[in-house]
Amino acid sequence: MDEWKPNPAIKPHKKRSWYLAWKYKLMNQRALRKLCQTGAVLFLLVTVIVNIKLILDTRRAAYEEEEESAQDYDDEMLNVEVLRHPVSNKKVLDVEVYSSRSKVYVAVDGTTVLEDEAREQGRGIHVIVLNQATGHVMAKRVFDTYSPHEDEAMVLFLNMVARGRILIFTIKDEGSFHLKDTAKNVLKSLGSQVAPFLSWRDMWTFVGKKGGEVYGEKHAKSPALSTWGDPVLLKTEVHLTSVEDAECHWPDTELNRRRKRFCSKVEGYGSVCSCKDPTPIEFNPDPLKDNKVFDVPVAVIAGNRPNYLYRMLRSLLSAQGVNPQMITVFIDGYYEEPMDVVELFGLSGIQHTPISIKNARVSQHYKASLTATFNLFPDAKFAVVLEEDLDISVDFFSFLSQSIHLLEEDESLYCISAWNDQGYEHTAEDPSLLYRVETMPGLGWVLRKSLYKDELEPKWPTPEKLWDWDMWMRMPEQRKGRECIIPDISRSYHFGIVGLNMNGYFHEAYFKKHKFNTVPNVQLKNVESLRKDAYETEIHRLLGEAEVLDHSKNPCEDSFVPDTEGRVYVMFIRMEQEADFTTWTQLAKCLHIWDLDVRGNHKGLWRLFRKKNHFLVVGVPASPYSSKKPSSVTPIYMEPPAKEEGAVAVPAVAAAEQT
Amino acid sequence: MQKINKNAVLALLSLTSLVFLLFQLYYYKFYLSQKNGAVFSKVRGSQSGQDSTRWHVVRKFLGLLSSHNIPVYLIDPLILGLVDKDFEQIRSSPDGPSPECKYFCAPRDFTTFALLDKTWKHEVGLFRTAEKMGFQWLKIINKDPRLDGMDDLSGIEIPLHYIFKLASHAIHLVVFYERSGNYLWHGPLRLKQHMDRKFVPFRKLHFGRYPGAYEKPELLLVSIDDLKVQIPKNPSSFLEEMSHSRFLECRYREARAFFQLYPDDASLDAVEFRKKAKSLLHLAALTLNNLGVKFWLSSGTCLGWYRQCNVIPHSKDVDLGVFIRDYKADIIPAFQKAGLPLKHKFGKVEDSLELSFQGEDDVKLDIFFFYEEDDHIWNGGTQAKSGKKFKYLFPKFTLCWTEFVELKVHVPCETLQYVEANYGPDWKVPVKTWDWKSSPSNVQYNGVWPVDEWDDVIQIY
Repeated sequence: MDEWKPNPAIKPHKKRSWYLAWKYKLMNQRALRKLCQTGAVLFLLVTVIVNIKLILDTRRAAYEEEEESAQDYDDEMLNVEVLRHPVSNKKVLDVEVYSSRSKVYVAVDGTTVLEDEAREQGRGIHVIVLNQATGHVMAKRVFDTYSPHEDEAMVLFLNMVARGRILIFTIKDEGSFHLKDTAKNVLKSLGSQVAPFLSWRDMWTFVGKKGGEVYGEKHAKSPALSTWGDPVLLKTEVHLTSVEDAECHWPDTELNRRRKRFCSKVEGYGSVCSCKDPTPIEFNPDPLKDNKVFDVPVAVIAGNRPNYLYRMLRSLLSAQGVNPQMITVFIDGYYEEPMDVVELFGLSGIQHTPISIKNARVSQHYKASLTATFNLFPDAKFAVVLEEDLDISVDFFSFLSQSIHLLEEDESLYCISAWNDQGYEHTAEDPSLLYRVETMPGLGWVLRKSLYKDELEPKWPTPEKLWDWDMWMRMPEQRKGRECIIPDISRSYHFGIVGLNMNGYFHEAYFKKHKFNTVPNVQLKNVESLRKDAYETEIHRLLGEAEVLDHSKNPCEDSFVPDTEGRVYVMFIRMEQEADFTTWTQLAKCLHIWDLDVRGNHKGLWRLFRKKNHFLVVGVPASPYSSKKPSSVTPIYMEPPAKEEGAVAVPAVAAAEQT
Repeated sequence: MQKINKNAVLALLSLTSLVFLLFQLYYYKFYLSQKNGAVFSKVRGSQSGQDSTRWHVVRKFLGLLSSHNIPVYLIDPLILGLVDKDFEQIRSSPDGPSPECKYFCAPRDFTTFALLDKTWKHEVGLFRTAEKMGFQWLKIINKDPRLDGMDDLSGIEIPLHYIFKLASHAIHLVVFYERSGNYLWHGPLRLKQHMDRKFVPFRKLHFGRYPGAYEKPELLLVSIDDLKVQIPKNPSSFLEEMSHSRFLECRYREARAFFQLYPDDASLDAVEFRKKAKSLLHLAALTLNNLGVKFWLSSGTCLGWYRQCNVIPHSKDVDLGVFIRDYKADIIPAFQKAGLPLKHKFGKVEDSLELSFQGEDDVKLDIFFFYEEDDHIWNGGTQAKSGKKFKYLFPKFTLCWTEFVELKVHVPCETLQYVEANYGPDWKVPVKTWDWKSSPSNVQYNGVWPVDEWDDVIQIY
């Protein structure tokens, strides 16, 4: 204010303060006052405008910043809004169940949850489990109770279902032939009045709550052996309960959160969902000392057999030296339940869009899984390949850890397999013994990356070729004379009864009595002698010490082998050239071992156990070991049976037929 | 009356002004708190409190990870740049207390760390602890590129980036994956629709605009500003690698569509040729990488990558491009040493150089040298019997990484222009008969070599 110049026309009032003088002047000088007022108004207006502009600017800048910061990083893909099922507060479900010779269906509140009218499959009792609070389908099973033992599986399944769940039953085609009393009683205990009297080709539907009320049952008797009962359609209502009643109250841990997610979605896994005492889902088996396969990826090849997968993964995760991080489960198809099982165990799973049909589909799934495995673990030199219908021995990884260096170093090896095709209860004895065989057993095996990447992957059968991948791998063009290492006692057990090439009869004949190692930490014997040349020395040593059996006796008879233990015996059979397996096949048949094709041979030599004695079979003269045959011995020749008996694979075909 | 009115107006205006001023102040404050100081960090960066916040956040983050046994390493370009300047000193005194906070207090919005996917188990516990410590976190997931090339496999989505935010500082954790070809890959950062776009100023992130490919780094444990942290053993070469790490994924979907139209040749010959071409390419890559010569997939090999993600079985050779400025005289002896004898050499370093090496069983390795001009790049060709010269013109391009037959290799980033220049707009249609003198759409006649130079510029072995 120093610059203020008083108007020279006015004399200053000296006795007043400077401010008052100024005020006085303002009040007295109208023009000046007006000027000042206008100035102030202008100033204020400008302030307001500047302020508004500033606010707008800041806002725009901030907005641009946001826009900019994100636009480069927007996901290009349009996120499709996930359609959520409207949470219905409905308390009643309408259920429709249909049973007939060629078609079954189940509809819940108008939504079809089961429909099966395919020819030549889906025979037996279909069971559906619904969540009593939400009405969601928790399990869908079909038990072919026309065939043996399927009723046992059904009883097992029904026992595992938690109390309170809603059960729906319907029969397609035939479901009573092998439905034994135990199973009938279980159905009766669920409230069925008809079940105990179910008979040949009857049609039947039933809806009830486990341990509770019955919502409806319908039955149509078959009038004659050659005809089916009339189709039945059951329409009924089911009352829902509250969600709290349908859940367990486990302590809130990461594991239990997984468990809860699993148990609210699916049924039929027994004690894993038990409220009181749930079975663990983490196993923490002992680590292996000096584990050479800790970093080897494990590919589990799976289809839509979630219960098998569950059993398989339990045994795999309990095996000593397992590394869950290296396990990937490959599911052929977009099935939810197998994925739920995988997530329950905290493993990673990958789904594969099915390509082609039948064997070709399996084979394409194998290819995709193997390629993906080596992509996901680019450092890996090997991959362990497992299937969902195998039990894994407790010393599976220990067995591989002790032998895997051979696969790395010995070029003449094709694979290491945990499975001995000829290792049955009565023909396998020594858990520490390994063999070299010219066949590729599969069923739990190790694949070398270089073999896959350089040889197999580029010429893998294309989708239009309906080949079995394993048969293809066994072809001489692929195998090129290389061999696999197998244990005497298998480290895997094939428990699958349902499958593409599998059914109850077949399983019982060829897989059920297979020996499976349950001893932990087996120290393998003489692993170095499995190398190409060392193995020949070993065989010669073995043949040198072997006692020649009495070739005048019938080799099928038990008395052919003396009642001793721990001895080595040799017998000679006729084998005109390399591909002449006539006698071997007959011998295999009467010994009740694998006879559908030739397995487990090494240069015309088979090694197995009989009565706890090592038992060698040499094919003369094709085998190079024929020279060990004393000149006095005539190789045994066994006649193949007449033609009509020759078709050994008949049961497989017969069981697949409709009744 | 008039006087009172004017005073009232004056008072009213003053009041309005005051209200505006207050509002402005409030808005300013609100804005600041919302953006966490990121926008105005330059203003506030000078405050020492802010400096130590960054250090504290980094310290807390490192503590969090080490408590879960998760090894990470520092890849922040800003800090690594600072570290690189004093690298000798830092390396020689791994435990010495530092007098001032020189690196982790430097003004910035983020600190970037790298995590190798296979070194941790995706425990949920980490995030719970992080939340307890006050961190807010964001996870960016996307498709697994290692399964992208496969027919219809749908894996789980994998985490590509994590951002941990505490107070005004954020940690960007980039997840690196090992891929076939012995290299590390990190994914692009793409926000899904429901994600919080304002979580951090994403634009300022150093990683994530594009996917990137890196060599596996050797690490060094150092103490920086009293924090123990792993850094790349050679920060300057890491920063150099980072500056052109951009990675292009092969166009698997288009390749599948191509094979729908033109089914793949699965004959034994094709399988054999692909196998040989692959091993030849691996050998060539090894040799050139050892020499430090940068190369890229060119001509038919590049087309094969771009169109079908594989070697074209009827192409019969492997083609590579090299900038003439990267030419080294040791190339020929190095290939000879690797078992690939020189087959022919056309042109000279100053003009139209081209080398051919004889691989196993008639598979040939061609190396074309590229000459850069102001507005285009070209390479030359020579017809042996006539001495005619040809010139192939390409628009300017930069180099990106990609994965091809289990190998990390360069391709032109602007691949489409490159392929179109060479093969014309119909490059999508397979052609079995190809004449290198007339078929390419970018070929130009370039005169004839003087006869007295022929011995030098046309060498055939």
